[in-house]
Amino acid sequence: MALTGCTGLIPIPTPQTQASKPSPPPQSKAPKVEIPDESMEKPSPSPRALASLQLTDQGRMLLNNDRPDDAIRMLERAVSLNPSNGQNYYYLAEAWLLKGNASQAKAFNHLADIYLAGKAQWMDKVMEQKERIRKHKKQ
Amino acid sequence: MKKRLSKNLTLKRLLKIALLFVVLICTGIILYSGYLSFQIEKRFSARRWRIPSKVFSDVTLLYPGQQTNRDLFHEKLRRLGYREVSYKPDRKGEVRISRSVTEIFLHDLIVPSQKRMGFPVEIRFTENEIKSILRHDNGKSLPILELEPEEIMLFFGPDREQRQLVSIDQVPQHLMYAIMAAEDNCFYSHHGVDPMGICRAIYTNLRHGSIRQGGSTITQQLAKNYFLTPQKTLLRKIKELFMSLTIEVMYDKNEIFEIYLNEIYLGQKGSVSINGVGEASHFYFGKPVAKLSLNEAAIIAGLIKGPNHYSPYVDKNRCLNRRNMVMRAMNKNGWISGKELNAALGLPVKTAGFTVQYKKAPYFLDYLSEQLTTLYSHEDLSSLGLSIYTTLDTEVQIAAEKALAKGLARLEKWNPGLKRTEPDKKLQGAVIVMQPKTGCILAMAGGRNYSVSQFNRITQAKRQAGSTFKPFTFLSALDKFTPASILSNQPKSYMINGKIWQPKNYGPVPEEYLTMRNALAKSVNRAAVDLAMKVGLDHIVNTVNGFHFSTPIKPYPSLSLGSLEVIPLELARAYCAFAADGMQPYLLSLKEVVDENGKNLEQRHMTINRVISPAKAFIMTSLLQSVVTKGTARSLKKMGVFFPVAGKTGTTNNSRDAWFIGYTPDILALVWVGFDNGDSIHATGATAALPIWADLMNAIPQYISGDGFKMPPGVVKRTICSESGQLAVPHACPKPMEEVFPAENAPSRDCSLHQKTDPFKKFIKGVKKSYLKIINH
Repeated sequence: MALTGCTGLIPIPTPQTQASKPSPPPQSKAPKVEIPDESMEKPSPSPRALASLQLTDQGRMLLNNDRPDDAIRMLERAVSLNPSNGQNYYYLAEAWLLKGNASQAKAFNHLADIYLAGKAQWMDKVMEQKERIRKHKKQ
Repeated sequence: MKKRLSKNLTLKRLLKIALLFVVLICTGIILYSGYLSFQIEKRFSARRWRIPSKVFSDVTLLYPGQQTNRDLFHEKLRRLGYREVSYKPDRKGEVRISRSVTEIFLHDLIVPSQKRMGFPVEIRFTENEIKSILRHDNGKSLPILELEPEEIMLFFGPDREQRQLVSIDQVPQHLMYAIMAAEDNCFYSHHGVDPMGICRAIYTNLRHGSIRQGGSTITQQLAKNYFLTPQKTLLRKIKELFMSLTIEVMYDKNEIFEIYLNEIYLGQKGSVSINGVGEASHFYFGKPVAKLSLNEAAIIAGLIKGPNHYSPYVDKNRCLNRRNMVMRAMNKNGWISGKELNAALGLPVKTAGFTVQYKKAPYFLDYLSEQLTTLYSHEDLSSLGLSIYTTLDTEVQIAAEKALAKGLARLEKWNPGLKRTEPDKKLQGAVIVMQPKTGCILAMAGGRNYSVSQFNRITQAKRQAGSTFKPFTFLSALDKFTPASILSNQPKSYMINGKIWQPKNYGPVPEEYLTMRNALAKSVNRAAVDLAMKVGLDHIVNTVNGFHFSTPIKPYPSLSLGSLEVIPLELARAYCAFAADGMQPYLLSLKEVVDENGKNLEQRHMTINRVISPAKAFIMTSLLQSVVTKGTARSLKKMGVFFPVAGKTGTTNNSRDAWFIGYTPDILALVWVGFDNGDSIHATGATAALPIWADLMNAIPQYISGDGFKMPPGVVKRTICSESGQLAVPHACPKPMEEVFPAENAPSRDCSLHQKTDPFKKFIKGVKKSYLKIINH
């Protein structure tokens, strides 16, 4: 068989740096959604990632105040700004779970799984969330 | 005696008749007043005014480090009603623009679940990048700033009236005094009709020999505007009189004044009438009514007599004279002091300025309206004053419209044969811009000129997809094939419905065989059909069905070349799954509907649905990146696009359609070019649609992060031999290359064509051979 060889390197999408700066602790008294401590993770977030994290944080606080619709609105805005921020997907999954929509929660958990890969503490949370979604679906 | 008796009887009879007549008149008046009070009650207890619903764009986010198109940004500020000033902005709605700094005194931001008062900010730029955002009032730097949404449409009723309702508590006292001074200075003391005022008006008019002064009270004006026709007849005047008296009996003075303040006609903005002081204060002075100064209040009061005659937008001097007349009347009545009068008389007439609002993003709004009318009747939309929030980004919309117009004009210039004289037959194009991960539609240009053709080529057209459909064939193959699999480019014949079909390539492709990656990058038709036949047409149809196309998909071999017709919007949505890790979003254009009281009536969220695995989506993206780096869309670099892009060109038979769909992790845009009647455009996707895509992307740097696509779990990278497709043997295979594979389908064998020979092993082998030879001897 005569083969035509490829020349040069193919454009493999390069893994990107994740915005990993931990969010400050929530202001409310009893936060339901905990943030894994990522103080050991170094990469400095881009300005866009920082801006997005501001919205993520606001979304998380709304979630803690049992306002899932407002939290979703805020987190969607954060996704629009930086779709690579895995935390948004994690909290979106939480919000949908709070609204009782396990299939949407599952879809966002999948995305959190992709975009938080390599962040050990976040991944524990993602796995734990996955388990909760599975149980919720069974009910 | 008889005569006197008869006279007395006649007199008595006459008196009786007169009495009867008076009783009848009184009864009539009572009955008529009862009827009027019923009419008034009915009208006032129901909804008093039709308030058109407003459609808003999305909010705009700004942050330090963001790339911006400063021209579009400043245009946006103007559309948002910011007035450019030469001094440091000290009032809401003012902006000062200099070379590297834009200072804005922000408007209040009121969106669902969020209310922020306006404050002054300073945005510093380095070239087109936002360097910092600083709050002027407290000196704090802001990591993110939201600009209020832009009003993009009003759902008018037949009257085309625009008003913002105000309560009398919001209205400053000097405005009420100004209106009374101008129209009815005895309002709080008369009972609906002011006989002294009428006499005064008659005297003044007789003295001047012309109509200089009207005698109508505020109540009479209200009765006339609200219930009666504008004709000047005696009967109408009598009706007005009765109605005014009835209104005064039924309502207290403040209630009447409040209705009047909201009802009164105060000018014209294009074809839209400005009604009520709430709307007027925004229209003339860009501020809420509560913030009106004395001289501004006097201008508004002065307008009532002749809104367009005394308009500051028509004649500033005339407006100033009228304003001064009103203020002098206020002073005469003791409502302002001489000091206040003198201070205000010296002030110039300053207005906010306005631009007539034309329908923005008309195709998007048509698409949105279709959805809204499934939720609300047109009557409700034009009267309930709803606030409708959408996903539209007006900067992207303008960039899309401009890129499309420029691209089509360029094509016509390049090939004058494409020019048509009749406007409705001209070369057409369409653009949709989306966020692939959220499904938000940022912009939609469904045609070249909405005023010529309202046919939306993004949502209504069904066009052959051409090669933009090939990725779905390649996707279907990913269970068995990999990007390194070899496909045939040899001419082949296929029997379809008893007829021989020989697929041809668009241009010459010398290779007899090529990898799947190269076949897609170069859009090789024969290889695509070869792959489709190997994969199975039914399997492709099943895969495609998962992407929610509404047009029928039949298992013909030509399916792999995009012979089926698609709706561009659905094609764009299908591509979102490649950009979004296999998740297909539901399309979002409507976000929220809020009623007048801020109650949320409708809220739509980002909803996603997995259609393919993240691994397959990533591999498809990787293949589609090759289209841009070395395939049919490689000219993108020459057009200034250097960030990672995946995409596919498409050209249909006889060049009837030219397509390009390109995406980054942040944004996806589809461009289509063609004639409505199917004439050839004599150009390809790469020459007709691609430049439009590039122009668009270059105009919206705020959406270009430059980030690459994230490799998900389930995908592995391997260095392979480009000839065998097996694992490359170091220093043996002449052309090793990196390739991505599904983890379960990655090559595990070393290249069988090129085996590495270790020099040490070669030496030992030689020694062994020599030794055996010696032994044998």
